Amino acid sequence: MKRYKWILDIIITILIVVTLNFFIPRLMPGDPFMYLEGEDGHIMSNFSEGDIQRYKEYYNMDKPLLEQYIDYLKKLVKLDLGYSIYYRHEVSYLIKSRLKWTIPLVAISILLSSFLGTVLGLISAWKRGSFFDRLCYFIMIILNEIPSFLIGVLFLFTLGAKYKLFPISGGFTLYGNFVTRKEKILDIIHHGVLPSLTLMLVSIGDYYLYARNSMINILSKDYIKTARAKGLKNRVIIFKHMLRNGIAPILTRIFLSFGNIVGGAVLVENVFAYPGLGKMMQSSIKTRDYPLLQGIFLVTTLTVLVTTIIGDKINQILDPRLKNG
Amino acid sequence: MDKIKKIYKKLTIMGKISLLIFIIFLIMGVFSGKIARFPHDNIVAASFVSPNKTHLLGTDDLGMDIFAQILYGARVSIGLSLFVAIVSTLIGASVGIVAAYYGGVIDRLLIRLIDVLTIIPSLPILIIISSFWGPSMKNIVIILVLLSWISPARIIRSKTLQLKEEPYILVAEYYGAGFLHLTRKHFIIELVPIILVSIIKLISRTIVSEASLSFLGLGDPTNKTWGLVLNFALGFQAIYFTEYWKWWVLSPLLAIILLVLAVAFLSVDLEKIANTRL
Repeated sequence: MKRYKWILDIIITILIVVTLNFFIPRLMPGDPFMYLEGEDGHIMSNFSEGDIQRYKEYYNMDKPLLEQYIDYLKKLVKLDLGYSIYYRHEVSYLIKSRLKWTIPLVAISILLSSFLGTVLGLISAWKRGSFFDRLCYFIMIILNEIPSFLIGVLFLFTLGAKYKLFPISGGFTLYGNFVTRKEKILDIIHHGVLPSLTLMLVSIGDYYLYARNSMINILSKDYIKTARAKGLKNRVIIFKHMLRNGIAPILTRIFLSFGNIVGGAVLVENVFAYPGLGKMMQSSIKTRDYPLLQGIFLVTTLTVLVTTIIGDKINQILDPRLKNG
Repeated sequence: MDKIKKIYKKLTIMGKISLLIFIIFLIMGVFSGKIARFPHDNIVAASFVSPNKTHLLGTDDLGMDIFAQILYGARVSIGLSLFVAIVSTLIGASVGIVAAYYGGVIDRLLIRLIDVLTIIPSLPILIIISSFWGPSMKNIVIILVLLSWISPARIIRSKTLQLKEEPYILVAEYYGAGFLHLTRKHFIIELVPIILVSIIKLISRTIVSEASLSFLGLGDPTNKTWGLVLNFALGFQAIYFTEYWKWWVLSPLLAIILLVLAVAFLSVDLEKIANTRL
């Protein structure tokens, strides 16, 4: 029974987030309709009666709280996240449509940062104390501390606006006239360079420091000494002994640092006006599109929760000592 | 005083520079009204004056002095982060000590709560709560405290657990020392270094969180923090096609980066000196 305790953990954690998501709009001062009815002096968009009706139906606040909660859970199970009045679409549809921008961005950044971080960390550990090691270490500590969206803003103004190397906003050229498919793909890649570069910086320091540490640790082990004494080539030691032993914990690190990357992605997408989920989250704040905002919150948070718990679990399998820690 | 001197001597060069930067920002914040030659929230010159002797960092789109805004921003940003850091560390410390001392159900509940709260990503939660509650300084402080007490609680709990097993504590307990006595006379003294390091660490985290919220348009519009200045500058449509960004965007941006780095290097040094890493 104890072996499946972590599944219970996931369920409890998910329930907490889902419940939090349920209570947030209900604990806010006023209610989510205030904006729709235009009582607080904001510019009104022209919502039709039908739209407002659908909105109220989603929250159905005139029923008792328990009934609301059960209703909300039932809808969640059916993946019904409500209806966005601003975009006039199902929230789940909108989220899906934006994920095709966010997922590649996040995936490429994770690949780049984990690869570069590990390689640099390995070299640093190998040449510990050298100029390269100290410089790299210093830069990575700095990168680890500075919020990366601020570096993104710097990129935006220097590489984007000043030197015009990259487009300053969007995920593709609006109304672009692409003759071939290849041109279109190149255009999308061109737009993606700065956002993925910035997002890469969110976690590269983390991977580097982690890889450097664990490689230094491995280097002090007896089997490395034996390998050296046997006269094995450096190449063999690095690939066969260090990478093989060091790579698994770094891979689990990807799962564990997922929360940082999601938070980073929200900010980075807004710096570059990249048409992903984070950008939509920000615009839903502006338009007070509460169901949409909550839908995005739920999707991002639950994704992070599940990946983090999976990472924890893998970590425990790799290193049973952690179980009791 | 002697102790402070001792600690200062142990700082690395980076730590000393960082301390200097931090103190400069602190002075800028405390005396912002006296240093600034112009009000931070009033039109004092033409729009987009480039930096010169009267306007050290130029002016923004409305003609407000940017140096005055940076000074005032130092006051709000540092004030806010100090407040959040101190309050959440104190809450975390009390929770940690209580949980460690009494153990049992309280402790297990706390561990559960900490486990859950640490894996929930903080930015989405910050965003959703502050957009529902409305952007005001009070709300931002409450939300940041709610999310920040966790890591001090965790650290202080495990340190107190260690302390509880020390012989002198056991002896004191044998002579009848209760929770309050132990906490006041023994735990607190031992925990002071950890508490201080935790406060300093939270300062930079809070500055970054506040700047992120302001950047997304969730800052308190009546209190111009650095993040809000940056948000206004980036919201100005033509900013990308002119030279104005060189003073309007860079000033708040570099202020945030400098302060965050200074605090970070300082906390690394202090952590080594206090040897609080568990």
